[in-house]
Amino acid sequence: MKSAARWLAAGVLAGSTFWGLIQPANAQGIPKDIPRNQLLILENPEGTVKNAAWFNIWAINANSQSNGLQQAALDTLWYIDPNSGIDGVWDNSLAAEKPVYNASFTEMRVKLRRGIYWSDGVEFTSADVKFTVDMMVKTPGMRWSAVLANAVETVETPDAETVIFKLKRPNSRFHSLFTVRWNAIWIAPKHIFEKAEDPNKFAFEKPVSLSAYVLHSHDPDGKWYIWQRRSDWQRTSLARFGEPAPRYLAYVDPGPPDKRVIAQMNKELDVVHDIAPEGMFTLARQNPSSKAWFKGFPFGHPDPTLPSAIFNTQLDMFKNKDVRWALTLLVDIKAVSMASYRGAATISPIHVPPTGRHPETYHYAMQDWLADFEIDTGKRKIKPYDRTMARQIADSLRPSMGNQIPSDPKDIAKAFGTGWWKPDPQAATELLERAGFRKQGNQWLKPDGTPFVIRVVVEGDARPIMTRAGSMIAQSWRQFGIDARVDVAAGTLLTRRAAGDFDVILSWSVETWGGHQDLSFFMDSWHSAYVAAPGQSQPSRNWQRWSHPELDKIIEQIRGIDFDDPKGIELGKEFVKLATREMPVIPLMSYNVFTVADETYWTGFPTAENPYANPVPNWGNSRYMFVKIKPKQ
Amino acid sequence: MRAYARYAFGRFLQFLLVVFIGINIAYIITHATPIDPVEHTVSVATAFGHTAPEAIESMRQSLRELYGLTGSPIEQYLNFWRRVLVADFGPSLSAFPSPVSTLIGRAIPWTVGLLGVATILTWIIGNLLGGLAGYYRRSRLLKGFGIVAMALHPMPYYIAAIILLIVFGYLWPILPISGGSQMNVARGWSSEYILSVARHSMLPLLSLLLVGLGGWFVGMRSLVSNVVTEDYVVYAELAGVSKRRILTAYVMRNAIAPQVTGLAISLGHVFSGALITERVFGYPGIGSLLVDGVHAGDYSLVLGVTTVSIVGVSLAVLVIDLIYPLIDPRVTVS
Repeated sequence: MKSAARWLAAGVLAGSTFWGLIQPANAQGIPKDIPRNQLLILENPEGTVKNAAWFNIWAINANSQSNGLQQAALDTLWYIDPNSGIDGVWDNSLAAEKPVYNASFTEMRVKLRRGIYWSDGVEFTSADVKFTVDMMVKTPGMRWSAVLANAVETVETPDAETVIFKLKRPNSRFHSLFTVRWNAIWIAPKHIFEKAEDPNKFAFEKPVSLSAYVLHSHDPDGKWYIWQRRSDWQRTSLARFGEPAPRYLAYVDPGPPDKRVIAQMNKELDVVHDIAPEGMFTLARQNPSSKAWFKGFPFGHPDPTLPSAIFNTQLDMFKNKDVRWALTLLVDIKAVSMASYRGAATISPIHVPPTGRHPETYHYAMQDWLADFEIDTGKRKIKPYDRTMARQIADSLRPSMGNQIPSDPKDIAKAFGTGWWKPDPQAATELLERAGFRKQGNQWLKPDGTPFVIRVVVEGDARPIMTRAGSMIAQSWRQFGIDARVDVAAGTLLTRRAAGDFDVILSWSVETWGGHQDLSFFMDSWHSAYVAAPGQSQPSRNWQRWSHPELDKIIEQIRGIDFDDPKGIELGKEFVKLATREMPVIPLMSYNVFTVADETYWTGFPTAENPYANPVPNWGNSRYMFVKIKPKQ
Repeated sequence: MRAYARYAFGRFLQFLLVVFIGINIAYIITHATPIDPVEHTVSVATAFGHTAPEAIESMRQSLRELYGLTGSPIEQYLNFWRRVLVADFGPSLSAFPSPVSTLIGRAIPWTVGLLGVATILTWIIGNLLGGLAGYYRRSRLLKGFGIVAMALHPMPYYIAAIILLIVFGYLWPILPISGGSQMNVARGWSSEYILSVARHSMLPLLSLLLVGLGGWFVGMRSLVSNVVTEDYVVYAELAGVSKRRILTAYVMRNAIAPQVTGLAISLGHVFSGALITERVFGYPGIGSLLVDGVHAGDYSLVLGVTTVSIVGVSLAVLVIDLIYPLIDPRVTVS
């Protein structure tokens, strides 16, 4: 009896302990003691930050960038929005006006705003800008040391609101370094960093901020960071657009994609950075308060980035543009769209992402040119462009997705893109034969008689969309008789891409501002002067190692004109025509990011209908949503 | 006693040799990785912003100097051993300049706490129920438990973890699904923090228990099934010794020795971390640290974690070898 009573007591104790542990647990995913209706919870896609207490963003690769540091606490001279922008795509942030260059582009003069203060009460002045540059030039190995040391001769500050950069050589795009597209060179607090013995090893554990939020607390294990609105937020550049609505921001690591979906359904994650298309469809179906960029298909926000099948053009087999075009004409973009994004892709036939302001300037404006574009296969001339391709994708999705699929041609173009290259195996055969390739049985051979083998390098599970696209492309080539093999690079992808250790790689070498038509952001790095010799590491972003005298000419002309010069658009179109003729990479689609905002606590997130900011929460540009969203409860 | 001392000394030398060889193999493997930490850093640093290509080469050179990768391979190897002997693995290359030992020191309490508790609990419950099931072979309750344990045991861990996550995180959301403790709870020895840690460890712990119990259960049941047929057990039953005493003093005690060996080895593996548990439940720990290090080509970090793991497992085996002759009189050092 005594024993039974003991067992019973133990059972009651264990049961009550268990109950005590689980009962309040449904609120464990949100911070303690912070009212939920004052808190915006966003995903930090960097995950768990190893160096959690390190906030020195100027040291290379030492810490997290998108834990709220660059979105909520730091600031710099200018921002360019990849969409429409809060007040136009260009925003003079710490600068009071646009950069002013001299005629030879060897000097850039910047007028700064006054009345901006660091969170510890020190006023921001030109001395901070000068110090930021000088610190990195004097300390090799910092994030922007090499870039600045190569470009800047001196920085002069005649007064507290003027900075004059004297450049080592003409550079009409020098301001790009201080213009946020995802990130930029952030301005460092002189009064803090001048006391650091070695800026490379200074943790900046208690960061002072220049933007509207200041660090409230963080997890020593790097899983979450909470930022609090500054009491003097009016003394920041963001205040021009009103008071940031959330009193607190939490940037968290919610874990793998499945858990992000669960966390949003549990109202513990207001803004998901990215999930798989399947997760997006689940949220759209089961969580009515979840809102993506597009109301319906394809949901995701098209980043100004162009996932492509990139040829290693230094390999003999890809030196001939006929071969590159033959392989392009074997790709079925509809199948690639279905395999990668389950149809939710915005396709692009040209080497410019179909996002932001680019479609009007390039994609729509060049439709007639694309339709008239001809390829000579040696036996005949073909017009490979099919302007109905995006419509065909939309039509094929309509039976299963119903009225989520737009029917208005303009909406289809916005969501799915325009046309693409129609698969033409016969033309591909003719092009390959003209290039000296031949088919023996069911196997294509190279001009030297060896089998035509292509290693298609993909990243693997870490980037399923690109991996699925690569597998589909390899399958198309295999069906044609080319021995195409998928090679999963996983963690070695960055090293292999730089080393040129691939035949074809699924990646991107085209990234643009999105909101601005200037293509120099990526194109300047495609100059032949920067193409590495085979076996040497290739500087970003010309992973295809392609060069062309006409391209160099275009790049050099762009270097010589102002950033806003309308001639830049004409030169951009010249580039598009050249790249289309040469096809150094096969452009596929924009990188659609399935950023999903839950409107249970906050409304007014940026969408395709109200594209005032980039909603993707790891972009520095996402800060503008803080002043536009409103509490719902 | 002298024989035991000789035996212990020999085993200790073996331990040192195993650790030395293990660390060397880890060194060779990590340095043979095709991932170049400098290239990785350059790629990450230039992935988003505008970086002039001519600046990248000077960036590469600066990083090689900063990361201490400029010496000859022999110099780097000797430097590595010099540091290992004082438990310093140098700075992490992917979280530069934080020392690897700091990163490991921060992660290891979580791993040891969760896996240590899970291993011990699984061992106790599995052996207890396995012993009972082997002895009381007609008990329906224990048979039923046996079926459940056998059904769960072969289930891939990932599946079990995801099911728990969906059940207790979504369908009936009563347990936290991510992190080691609640956000914004001050770290310390307060009851609030301890309770928060306990709450957050429940799902990972439960998943490890569910999948891990079966092995111990089945092993112990088989061992006990053999022991109960021994003459001394039959004799004790015929002599009227109580069943409880036969079970605890005669059967379990004799059957437990191999399980103790298993426990020691399992505890040694605790230092390797539980990657899938950490990833699925977003639990902090050493497993994620290791994988992040591998992906970033951070061989300082990878070597640090693998060294801790090698020493942990080897030490566990050493300890069990040393105490085995003491706990099991049938084993003699001669």
